[in-house]
Amino acid sequence: MSFQQRNITVSLVTFILILGFYLLRIFQLLQSDTFTSTNIFRLWGIIIILAIVATIVLTILAHIGSAIVQVIKTGDENPKIEDIQDERDKLIDLRGTQITYLASSLGVLVAMLTFVFGQPPLVMFSLLVFFGLLAQIIGDFSRLMLYRRGF
Amino acid sequence: MGKSRISNNIRKLRFFHNEMTQQQLAEKVGVTRQTIIAMEQDKYSPSLELAFRIAHVFTVPLEEVFSYEAPEDGK
Repeated sequence: MSFQQRNITVSLVTFILILGFYLLRIFQLLQSDTFTSTNIFRLWGIIIILAIVATIVLTILAHIGSAIVQVIKTGDENPKIEDIQDERDKLIDLRGTQITYLASSLGVLVAMLTFVFGQPPLVMFSLLVFFGLLAQIIGDFSRLMLYRRGF
Repeated sequence: MGKSRISNNIRKLRFFHNEMTQQQLAEKVGVTRQTIIAMEQDKYSPSLELAFRIAHVFTVPLEEVFSYEAPEDGK
């Protein structure tokens, strides 16, 4: 697994965990009848901060982890980590970003459709975050697939 | 996606250049080893610049490294 693939895997796992946490919190709010704007916007804030912090921390940990594995494997104290991004990496990243934007746009459309069906704005806001996280997961997954299947 | 219409002789050329490793070739042309692997498996068609760089490393013309198979309908 290359350096880029490892980074994408870390991002994918991070966003799956964040999405799981988000759905759990939404479910808890619905169960306890506290699905209010204050709680939803607080959850928005938590999710955004969590996504930023978790991505940074887990990426750093993944770098350290891969360096340790490299030292154990090669026995070299200064392991060479292939962290360059070449033309293929850039193309795959670009395609992944396109897929993320497409999924995100469809998500926004679906979220807006809830108004058509007479749902309150809170449902739309909740779905926006859900589809934002889902789009990131779909984008990361498609990047990994492009690395495996060829591009 | 998948197999490209552009095939190459990189594996053979590496062999005839003192069994040059994928890593050595990757360093010479400025890409990752994974990109060399993808090209050897015909899973990635390089840019024109990278194709020329590879040909330059092996000191052969571009056509000796890469070949293009046109589709049957000529498109």
